[in-house]
Amino acid sequence: MKYRHFLLTVVFLLAFEVKGQDNLTRQLEFANSLFSEGRYYDAITEYKRLLFFDSAGIYQYKVDYRIGECYKAGAKLDDAIKSFSQASKFAKNDAELFDSKTQIIRSNILRKTTERAIQLCTELDKDERFRTKMDTIIYWKGWAYMFADDWANAANTFAKISPEHELRKLSEQTDKEKVSVTFAKVISYILPGSGAIYSGKFLSGLMSLGWNVLAGYWTINSFLENRALDGVVVGELVWLRFYRGAIQNAGNFAVEKNLEIANKSLRFLQNEYKGTKP
Amino acid sequence: MVFLFTFFSAQISFAQQDSDSTNYFSPNNRLKFGSYLYKDKDYLRAAEEFKEYLKFSYDDTVQFKLANSFLKIGRYTEASDNFKTLFLGSSLSEESRLMFFESNFFLNDYNFFRTLTEKEIYLTEKYSREVDRLNSITYLFDNAKLPDENLLLKPFSDSAKSQISAFFLEKKFPKYRSVTTAVLLSTVIPGAGKIYTGEIGDGITAFVATALSVYLSYNNFKNDHQFRGWLFAGLTAFFYGGNIYGSAASAQIYSARIRFNFESEVKLYFEQRNYFLPRIDY
Repeated sequence: MKYRHFLLTVVFLLAFEVKGQDNLTRQLEFANSLFSEGRYYDAITEYKRLLFFDSAGIYQYKVDYRIGECYKAGAKLDDAIKSFSQASKFAKNDAELFDSKTQIIRSNILRKTTERAIQLCTELDKDERFRTKMDTIIYWKGWAYMFADDWANAANTFAKISPEHELRKLSEQTDKEKVSVTFAKVISYILPGSGAIYSGKFLSGLMSLGWNVLAGYWTINSFLENRALDGVVVGELVWLRFYRGAIQNAGNFAVEKNLEIANKSLRFLQNEYKGTKP
Repeated sequence: MVFLFTFFSAQISFAQQDSDSTNYFSPNNRLKFGSYLYKDKDYLRAAEEFKEYLKFSYDDTVQFKLANSFLKIGRYTEASDNFKTLFLGSSLSEESRLMFFESNFFLNDYNFFRTLTEKEIYLTEKYSREVDRLNSITYLFDNAKLPDENLLLKPFSDSAKSQISAFFLEKKFPKYRSVTTAVLLSTVIPGAGKIYTGEIGDGITAFVATALSVYLSYNNFKNDHQFRGWLFAGLTAFFYGGNIYGSAASAQIYSARIRFNFESEVKLYFEQRNYFLPRIDY
């Protein structure tokens, strides 16, 4: 009799527990459906509700991870990183830990905190548990370099995966297309306007050269006519103004040109690149 | 028999718990979840849960929390409307009245706020001093005619009075710079208007640049360089006109800076002291 009573109680309790879990699963499905529909705000609410009622923490990792994805999709990257960090604490195995850590890296790349992303990649790189995931770690490190506008390092990093890697070629090409800011300034010291022409601003470069020739003529002419004060004032106020302006402009144009080249590559990554993106 | 009785009792007991444990969207569970979100400072989501709960059951504390959630997320009109529903027949009436005024104060329509304080129906006995303080603060934030200094300082404690009195005097006698004076000064002596607005370096540079371009124009005409003479004459006109315009802009910027610094200082002072309001929460 005692045995039957005990058995019945156990069956009741088990049934109750299973029913509880069923509710949690249903809630997870509901939240997931909102996530699939792109209703990220509502999805977060339902994931949070699930976490609140999941007193045993059965879905803790899965839900924190999904909340992170929702925040990431809504460009709330600080919150996304917090949620992925929270998920990493509840990872049940190395695969889950790796996924949450790479999501933190990807969110850092998107947030443009690329130094932190590279640092996290290096940490993962040193972790023996992730030996088999080296290519993935290198891949995200390369992306971090691209977002840090360090295309040379990005090319070297992708080359470690494969010399034929599509992103290696893109990074290398971007790096080659970029102009040297220092060189643009130095040639402008020698011939005003040449730095602007080197950076692709032909009209600005020619105009700068013209102004410098004219102001130089006025200055020299004043000295030749024994009007020294005129020469000094025109030289200081007009010629030097154009000369310094040409050097400054050369630097600015070179920076602008590099930005255009980098943006073109980033636009390609955003719109045309078919591989995994941060 | 005992076994059957235990079985049915357990069934009934489970059935009662069941509705709550299986339905995460039951009013009670919404309240629990809402309170958790409220504690977690996720006020927007908490407000939604409280709203749903209140559709099934009325509770003035929940109503207060709902209104306070709106206040916390800066939805002041909704906060004000929800606090208003607690004015009558609630043990939180006095607190709600204060929070109602607080919500309206943060709407930044200070004229409207002062009108509200005049309506007796909204007044609170317990927190009348707090509301008076908010009322006094409004005069420091907008361009309304300032009341008598003693009247404005009355609701504040002695320790705060000296600082608020300093704010009052700064508001009453602002150290602005006149645009007309700056323009006239620069018309007579190029650069003088800039010096008047505190930009001494700019003023001296403007004076030197104008004088030099006048000299260069004169000297080039004298030496029969007509083109360069006209070029520097044009440059002189540009410097002279530009300086007058710059002086007017500088006077406006100076006054705007004084106004901005004053407003920022006053705001920071009161924010750091939570506008001398008590922290009310449940």
